[in-house]
This record gives sequence, structure tokens and C-alpha cells, in this order.
Amino acid sequence: MSRTYAVAAVAVVFLATVLVGGFGLRISRTTSDFYVASRTVRPRLNAAAISGEYLSAASFLGIAGLVLVHGPDMLWYPVGYTAGYLVLLVFVAAPLRRSGAYTLPDFAEGRLESRQVRRLVSVFVVAAGWLYLVPQLQGAGLTLKILTGAPGWLGDVLVASVVVIAVAAGGMRSITFVQVFQYWLKLTALLVPAIFLVLAWRGDGRPRVTFDEQLSVFRADHPLYATYGLIVATFLGTMGLPHVVVRFYTSPNGRDARRTTVAVLALIGVFYLLPPVYGALGRLYAPELIHGGDADAAVLLLPGRVIGGLGGDLLGALIAGGAFAAFLSTASGLTMAVAGVITQDVLPSRGVRHFRLATVLAMCVPLAGSLMVSRVPVADSVGMAFAVSASSFCPLLVLGIWWRRLTPPGAVAGLLLGGGSAFLSVAITVSGAVRPPGWPHALLAWPAVWSVPVGFLAMVLVSLATPGRIPSGTNAAMTRFHLPETLTAGRHR
Amino acid sequence: MTGAGYAALVLLALLLLGAGFLLGRRTARPVRTSDVGTPVEHATFETLHTASLAAPPLRAGLTEESARRSARRLRSLLGTDALCLTDRDRVLVWDGEGEHHGRQVMDQVRDLLASGRDTAFRSDCDDLDCPLRWAVAVPLTVDNRVLGTLIAYAPRESAVLARAAGEVARWVCVQLELAELDRSRTQLIEAEIRALRAQISPHFIFNSLAAIASFVRTDPERARELLLEFADFTRYSFRSHGDFTTLADELHSIDQYLALVRARFGERLAVTLQIAPEVLPVALPFLCLQPLVENAVKHGLEGAVPPPRDPGSAAARETPTRITISAFDAGSEAEVVIEDDGTGMDPERLRHILRGQGGRSTGIGLLNVDERLRQVYGDDYGLVIETGIGAGMKITVRLPKYRAGVHGS
Amino acid sequence: MRPLPRYRTQSEIDEQTALGGAYVRSLMRSQLRAGLTAFAVLAVVVGTLPLVFEALHSAALVWAVLGFAAYPPLTLTAWWYVRRAERNERDFARLVEGRPGP
Repeated sequence: MSRTYAVAAVAVVFLATVLVGGFGLRISRTTSDFYVASRTVRPRLNAAAISGEYLSAASFLGIAGLVLVHGPDMLWYPVGYTAGYLVLLVFVAAPLRRSGAYTLPDFAEGRLESRQVRRLVSVFVVAAGWLYLVPQLQGAGLTLKILTGAPGWLGDVLVASVVVIAVAAGGMRSITFVQVFQYWLKLTALLVPAIFLVLAWRGDGRPRVTFDEQLSVFRADHPLYATYGLIVATFLGTMGLPHVVVRFYTSPNGRDARRTTVAVLALIGVFYLLPPVYGALGRLYAPELIHGGDADAAVLLLPGRVIGGLGGDLLGALIAGGAFAAFLSTASGLTMAVAGVITQDVLPSRGVRHFRLATVLAMCVPLAGSLMVSRVPVADSVGMAFAVSASSFCPLLVLGIWWRRLTPPGAVAGLLLGGGSAFLSVAITVSGAVRPPGWPHALLAWPAVWSVPVGFLAMVLVSLATPGRIPSGTNAAMTRFHLPETLTAGRHR
Repeated sequence: MTGAGYAALVLLALLLLGAGFLLGRRTARPVRTSDVGTPVEHATFETLHTASLAAPPLRAGLTEESARRSARRLRSLLGTDALCLTDRDRVLVWDGEGEHHGRQVMDQVRDLLASGRDTAFRSDCDDLDCPLRWAVAVPLTVDNRVLGTLIAYAPRESAVLARAAGEVARWVCVQLELAELDRSRTQLIEAEIRALRAQISPHFIFNSLAAIASFVRTDPERARELLLEFADFTRYSFRSHGDFTTLADELHSIDQYLALVRARFGERLAVTLQIAPEVLPVALPFLCLQPLVENAVKHGLEGAVPPPRDPGSAAARETPTRITISAFDAGSEAEVVIEDDGTGMDPERLRHILRGQGGRSTGIGLLNVDERLRQVYGDDYGLVIETGIGAGMKITVRLPKYRAGVHGS
Repeated sequence: MRPLPRYRTQSEIDEQTALGGAYVRSLMRSQLRAGLTAFAVLAVVVGTLPLVFEALHSAALVWAVLGFAAYPPLTLTAWWYVRRAERNERDFARLVEGRPGP
């Protein structure tokens, strides 16, 4: 693969992002017309923005890599990433928007009227955000390694610095147009090469893809349990991801939040049709990756292998640009969200300077993590972040929105027992203290199957045991969450 | 349980016994002074503690709820068998035995409610086992109004109880007076907020109507439109429910305001907007941007005569005044900037105004907005104003995207 | 832009009286029923799929279902839910405002 083209593509993506972010508002929204200026973000546009922020390196590179190594069972990942939005839609989307909360700690404080719960939720948001950032950085490091031959750690550090600088300078604010741009860029960067790859494969006489040798050490035993663990984590974990929650604030009302979610489902569904193609073709054209460590690189290497020449180089550069966009958008969205929580709930006072400090803090820990821990496949470690989110935020949101008897002690118990145990399991797995094969490893690597019920049970039981602590504003909050806007907002108009 | 367990239990029991014995010796001995307190002092502490526990509920005023929550403490202060609190019409709470007496209470205290004087009465009943034979009733008064009564029951007449009941009642009265004070203070703050909110300047109303009137003959259609804008704008400004609105709604009201201003000044006013759509749903205190725009308009247009020592501004009067309203996303906050290129202001004078010393006519809008923002979001969120004479004015408002209790619409 | 008249039921809800609470709870129940229906369909299908795959042992089937066929039903279920939820809200608004049905 030609490094020059790829590096140029990465630079173009970065510049375009900064430009759209810096001048997008000025160009698109400078007007003297109030009607134009106060047009809210339409559901479809917001959906593209959410998808743009959501489709991470795990989706862009990781899924193909996993499919390449472990076979089609790994397709549960994209299905789970998508179905998570369905669960979010039916239980959370509209009420969360109507709660007026910008972050999950906001939601917890507004619903439970407790600073303690707010602080605890903040801790979990930071923890889940960090867990999610580690694989993003590792994916970035891998990409740079493939592109330039630089050592892996350099890539991690470089991308972390780029994200910190971009976020701290204010260039990567969660601007809708930037994220929309990122979505279409990622889709194009995966779709166009895929078309050419499939054409080349047909020209090659359409060799069959086989998945006979099942050699995955990581998930060799108890594959069925691992599948269920994955399903529970991704289906229930999406609703709590910090960078997803904040984007719902952009919807003008609960009804639009719902419509937005449906559009997100459609958009990421379209995107997820593509990674499996790369996985399957990688099996044919880059079989050595199955045994090497860097299966996640399959997407990047395929155009050069299958097509070759100038065309291969250009397509490879396009993919490299898309991959860079993938971790740039997700990593900066996460860093923004984590830094926001750190500024609000951890640092003593607020202000721009503190936000910059928080940005550095938000990135340092996952950077250290990505440099120190062994390289778990990208999609797998993202799955762990989902497990933590599913065991802590899912019970909090679902019970907070639908159950009047939730109390602050109940929420604390659920967060600590459910989310805490999931986090511990993940930490033990990543540290390598418990190795496969055997049930202990399976249970710890895919904790969601047991930790989500633990979280729900703890929250319900402790709440029932502390009926005196039901917040006084519960009824008001429930009314606000569920009453349609036609009965609230339009009254004075 | 093992042998060791039993041994530990026995040891613990012995220790407790010993401690109890020593404590008994100590408290029984007539000690004049002691570092850890004499029995009298301890009794005082206990009384004060009980009184302090009874105080918070009473701070909510005399209601069934507050009476219920404080009655037990009050009874233990008095050390009686039964205690009853009433308001002017009915029994609020009965604490202790002999609740059947409650039925006659209101008849027995009728005179007291009228006269406001302490009384005592025999409380006979058919139940021979009932220990309550005598009662003392004391009025609870605030500002010379009798709000209710406190009645303490005893098996026999007791002057000590009569005196104690009087003292406790006086203490309750003080709490109730504080409650009244709390309530009137809240009402005052609310009234102030209402007044601040509804402060559309009479000048503006007069000028708008005059401008509309001038169109009635020449351009009736426009006059009609303007009148509708005016009606909408005032309806928004005077609406009675909710102290918060959304940025989108506030912008809408600013639009109507500017339409009315334009009716007077025509093309001398140019407005540029740059609003990030992400921050339109942000909730903010009602009418806290419109006064800032009004201020910008005033400085731009009604700054009337430019200071003579500034030759540039005479020419500037010919070109339209430019007002820029922008709103950006800044993570967990939104930042709104309102900028004009008008006459500006002496920073020293501005400081005076924001300290509330600016006099009646000028800058009252700025001061109000600043105060309300601080009231809602805390002192970190006051107005930030950059200005100088002849240098225009730039006002920056930071709005948290979420604050508990702040909900738009 | 005309102001809506404030209806009596509306103020019951705003003031959170017992009656208003009953209205809000009934809305919540209907919305929760819609949500649980969609979720139950998802849970049953997804819960059995891994077992089916395990039993049939056919990689082609897994490819077809998880690679392509899964996405349209997900979007359709979401679409169905949104229509149902919005209809619930319309019905509720009609109930509160005392308007007759269409």
C-alpha cells in the first residue's frame, strides 16, 4: 500500500473535519432571518450525526477482523450495536429527552434528587468512557502502524494528542454538521472499496469462503454463553453510552427523539452490511492475519491485496481516511463527554481552563491503559464497555423512567453491585489474571448475562426496602418524562 | 455458639454492669461542678435537644402535618400523658392516651380562641380508668392573632404543668412567627421576580403603539401584522406560568420585539444571527435575553447625540447599527453573545449600574438579568460585559445545558 | 400560534392531583405496553436464534440472517413502535382535552 496516499487521505479527513467544524456554523447559519436561525435539527440530520459519532473503530475495523478470525458468529456484534438502539427507543428515547438532562448524571440528579447518586453515576460514566476509549486508541495506533510502519505506541500517543488538542481548542465540539459529515464519509469509505473488492472477487472466479478451522482460543469454550453475554451487553448497553446520550439533547422534543432513533437504526443498519464483506474476503485474500495478531488490519490491507496498483492504493487511502474519521469522531465525542463530566462533578470549579485540564485527564488514563494492557481485539474490548454500561446505566434509566418506587439507596446499590461487578470482571479479564479456558474466564469476560440481572435486582430490592426515601418530586418527574409536548410546550404559543 | 462465644458474652455483660454501676454512682453524687456536666445541666441539654428537634416541622407553619411531626417532642418536653394541638377550627393532632377527649376539645377552648387567655379545665369523662382529669390550654398567637391552642393533660391539677405549658406555647409561637416570616420573604422574592419579569418598559409600549398607529393609514396590512406581533410579544412577556423557557422560544420573542423596533427605526437597524441548532432546546430563565437585545438597540439607536469629541460617530449614525446575536455549543454549556456597534458605555458607569447604583432610568434591564441569572445558576453565571465609550458593547451569557429544577416551557 | 385554552384535566395534571396522577399513569401504562411488546418480540427472536444456529450448524444461514436479514425487521419494529407510541400520545391528548375522536 502506498503510504503517501494514505497519509494524505488522513490529513484531508482531519482538515475537512476541522474546517466543517470551524466554519460550518458561520456559513450555514449566518442570517438575519429568525425563522432560519431557530430551525431545530431535524430527526434525519440528527440521526446521521448520532450514527457518525457512534460508528467507531470497532465498527469500521474491528468487526471485519473478528469475522475474519472467528467466523460468522461474530456478526452478533453489529446486530447488537444496532438492536441496542431499538431497546433505547422503546424504553428510553422520548422520556430521556423530555427529562431535559444533558448527561446521565443530570438525569440521575433530576430524577432522584440526590447529589450522591449523581456523583456515583459520574464515576461510572467516566469509567465506561475510558473503557470505550482504550480500543479506539489501540485501533488508531494499529492503523498508523499499518500505514507508516511506526511502532504501535507512537500511533496511540499521536492520536490521543490530536484528539486532546482538537477537543481542548474547541474544534471538535459536538457540531451536528461535523458528525453528519463523518457518517457519510465512513459509509463512502467502506462502500466504494467494497464494491470494487466484490467485483474483483467475481473476476477471480468467485472462490468460496470457508470457515472450517475454528481456532479461537479466546472464546473456544462456552461459545453459546459468550454469544448470550454479547447479546445482553450490546442490546442493553447502548442506551448508556455517554456520547450517545448527549446527542439526544439536540432533538427539540421527545417525539423527534423517537423519530431520530428510528433513522439511526436504518443508517447504522446500512453501514453494518459492509464490514462482513471485508471479513469474508479477508479470509480468502489475507489468511495469514488469522494467526497473526493484527486481524483488525484486514480492512486496511484488502484493497492493496485484491486490486493492487494505483486503484488499490487510492481505495486503501480512502479506507484509511474513513478509519481515521471513525476513531477521531468517536474518540473526540467520548473525550468531550468524559471531560464534561470531570469538569462538572470532579474538579472544584468550572470554566474553560478547567475544561482543558479535564480533557487531558480524560485522555491520559485510557492512553496509559492502551499502552499497558495486552491487545484484546478491538471489538471485544468495546463489548466490555457495553457490559459495564448495560449493568449500571440500563437499570438506572429503565427503572428511573418507568418505576415510581425507585429510591436513591436503591439506585446506589444497583449501580455498585451491577455496574461495579461488571467493571471488576472486565478489569480482571483485561489484566489477564484469569486465563481461558474454563468457566471462570467465560463468566468474567462476558459478565452482562449475570451482572445486568444483579443490577436490576439490587435496585428493585433495595428500593422496596427503603420506601421512605422515594424522592418527593417523583410524580412531577414522571409527568414530565411521559407527557407529550402537545400538552406542555404549545400552551403559551 | 462456642464456649469462647459464651465467655465473651459474659465478659461483655460484666463490663456493662460495671459501667452502669459507675455511671449511677456518678450521677447520684451531688457534684457541684463537673467537666462532663451535672444532672441539671444534662437535663437542660436534653430539653434543648428535644426542643431543637421539634422546631424544624413547626417552621412550616401550623398544619396537620407539622403538628403531627412535632407533637411527640412537645409532649416529651412537657412530660405529660397527653397533648393536643388545635387550630381555630379543629383538632390537628392528639398525642398520648385518652384520644376520646378530642371530641370535646373544640367546645372547651372556644372562649380561649376568642379571648386569647390561658385557661384550665377539668376534663371529665365516663371512663373511670382514664387518667386524664385536668387540662391546661394555652393559645398560640402570632401578631396578636390566635392561630390555635396547645392543650396539656394531667391526672390532677398542677401549677408546674400550667407554667411549663405556657413556656412551651410561647416557644412554639416564636417558631410559628419565624414560619410567617419565611413565608412572607418567599412571597417577596416571588413578587420581585414577577415584577422583574414583567418589566417591559412603558416607553417601549408607547413607542410601539405610536409606530403601529403611524402605519394604520399608510399601510393597514402592515399595521395589522405589527399589532399581532405586539399582542404575541406581550402575551409571552406577561404569561403567568413557568419561570423558564427555551432558547428557541426566547429567540422568537426577540424576533417579535425587533419587528416592533424596526417599525419605528426602519433600515437603521441590521441584525445578524448565528445560532448553533444544538443549543436551541436549552432551558433558561424566562425573558433574560430580550432585555439584553433591548439594551443593544438602545445603545445603537437611541444613544441619540454622539459625544462631540468623537468625530467618527457622527458619520456612523448614517450607517445602520449592527446587532449580532450568536449562540454556540460549549460542551455542557451554551454560550450566548449579544453584540452591538453602538455608542458603548464607560466601564466605570457600567460597574455602578451593576452594583445597583445606576439610578432609575439606565441599565435596569441589565441589572435584572444579571441578578436573575445569578439567582438561578449561581454567581459563576453572571453577565460578562465588554465595552468602552464609542466601542460598542458585547454581552456574554453562559447557560448550563442542565440544572436541576430548570425546565423549559 | 394562537394560545390553546387551558382545559380542566390539564390543570389536574399540572397540579399533580390524584386525578391528574391517574391520567399520567394510564398514559405510562399504554406506552410501557407498546415498549414491552416490541421488546418481547425482539427478546424472543434473538433469544432463540443462537440455539437455532447451534442446532443447524450452518454457516450460510448465520451469514444470511446476521449479515443481512436482521436489519430490516429491526427498523420495521422500531417504526411500528414509533407509530404506536405517537398514536397513544394523540389519544391521550384527545382524552385530556376532551375532544371527540376523528
